[in-house]
Amino acid sequence: MTGQLIQSLVDALSAGATLGLAALSIGLVFGVIRLANFAQAEIITASAYCLIFTWELGWFIAVPLSIIVAVAMSLLMEFAVFSRMRSANPATLLIASFGLSFLLQRVYELMFSNNVRTAPVASGLAQTVEFAGVRIQLLSVATIVIAGLVLLGLHLFLTRTSMGLQLKAAAADFRTARLVGIPAGRVIALSFALSGILAAAVAFVLTVQSGAVGPTFGVQITILALVGAVIGGIDKISGSLAGGFLVGFVTSMLATWLPQEMSNFKDAYVFVLVIGVLLFRPSGLLIKGRGVART
Amino acid sequence: MSIVDDARSGSGQASRGLRVEGLEVAYGGVPAVRGIDLEVKAGEAVGLIGPNGAGKSSTLLGIMGAIERSGRVLVDGQDLAGLPPEKVVRRGVALVPEGRHVFAELSVTDNLRLGAVARRDRAGYSEAMEHVVTLFPMLRDFGHRQAGLLSGGQQQQLAIGRALMSDPDILLLDEPSLGLSPTAVDTVFEALDVIRAAGKAVLVVEQRAEFTIAFCDRTFVLHDGEITLSLKPEDAEKVDVLTKAYFG
Repeated sequence: MTGQLIQSLVDALSAGATLGLAALSIGLVFGVIRLANFAQAEIITASAYCLIFTWELGWFIAVPLSIIVAVAMSLLMEFAVFSRMRSANPATLLIASFGLSFLLQRVYELMFSNNVRTAPVASGLAQTVEFAGVRIQLLSVATIVIAGLVLLGLHLFLTRTSMGLQLKAAAADFRTARLVGIPAGRVIALSFALSGILAAAVAFVLTVQSGAVGPTFGVQITILALVGAVIGGIDKISGSLAGGFLVGFVTSMLATWLPQEMSNFKDAYVFVLVIGVLLFRPSGLLIKGRGVART
Repeated sequence: MSIVDDARSGSGQASRGLRVEGLEVAYGGVPAVRGIDLEVKAGEAVGLIGPNGAGKSSTLLGIMGAIERSGRVLVDGQDLAGLPPEKVVRRGVALVPEGRHVFAELSVTDNLRLGAVARRDRAGYSEAMEHVVTLFPMLRDFGHRQAGLLSGGQQQQLAIGRALMSDPDILLLDEPSLGLSPTAVDTVFEALDVIRAAGKAVLVVEQRAEFTIAFCDRTFVLHDGEITLSLKPEDAEKVDVLTKAYFG
């Protein structure tokens, strides 16, 4: 029983970490330009395809390449689509990102067909190890470590560098940041680039988990990540991260501990949680009051 | 030489001035500012007063390029046409916004660091920081404190300090006394006096008419987006002039 509890806790931490990163990748961009980018799913998918197609060249080529693809695609979306819609309201931006998402899914279908592509990406992590009598998936531990390292790097960047500080300020109050002299174009591009790096980390974990990538590969986690970001408070970087983690953690625990006949509906319970949060804390669990109005 | 030293010696470096010609601002076709002309020279403080909705804040935001405007905004004779706010700051204009808008979750020092992002002279960062904490010693004492935990008066000092970190020649302030205690207002305006004496051009929007008229070298009254009256410091105590300023 204790072994199963520890095992489920590690799995839930891993699921929470993955979803936390995905939600953070959305929250970073939202904080700056009020875009909840649904097409983040297709950045994850592109990065995952890259891992699948280049894995046989070696991880030291495949992993950096998948990060480059994610960052390039994120920046391309910004320059080709969203930079042309600066004065649009958040609802319009969200709908545009839906459109972009569906368009890219069709493009992936045309390029790679509807069938999934497979490769043994980091298959060594797919093993189970026994530690003090508890069986733990190596991938779960690796996911927690990867998420920890990515978050530490992001934290150091945001707190120790001038660019990071500018991004934090822009995410908190974009209009004032510009009035202080922070260049809008630079911080927006930076938020998309960092968001791309986070998407690549998520793509890596998911690709190792499944080993198979199709045109809609990134969609499900992006929906849950959006839900997590809203629950935590998409207005704040830390809110998105915490909300994403919470949704991932709860979903994983429900999958383990709910009776078989109920666990099929685990996502439904998560959405009940969302409804509750939206009713009683519409700005998110981590946002005090109603959040800061933006113009 | 620091702002404080400048003021004490009364030297006032040769700073640039601001000239606004025919400034117009509209929101969705509804005019808020209708062809304002004004000039603020180096070492001078100019006030803008008027009832709510007169167009005072819109004038400042129009000068900063934060909202669409027409007309000319000249700094040292150079037109700022089409420049976004971050580039206007690089031309030597800084705004202390209404409601202060400090970055509440960041430390006092980080807020000041952000103010220096737009410095034309990056090497002068340490000197600028020293000037600001000399002007507002509280900012040195509370350097590591979260800005959101400061009192209103302290936040106003921080907002002014942050603006000064960009080494502006022209300082715009939107209702710096809003919501502050009389003591805090005194602290803020004493600092503005030092800043003016150091040769900066100061344009201040205020609700406190009498106070502003007495402090500024010239004060303009704004009504419905137009300047309707120009006042001198000696007008501050003339009740009929103040009544006319607000009620026409």
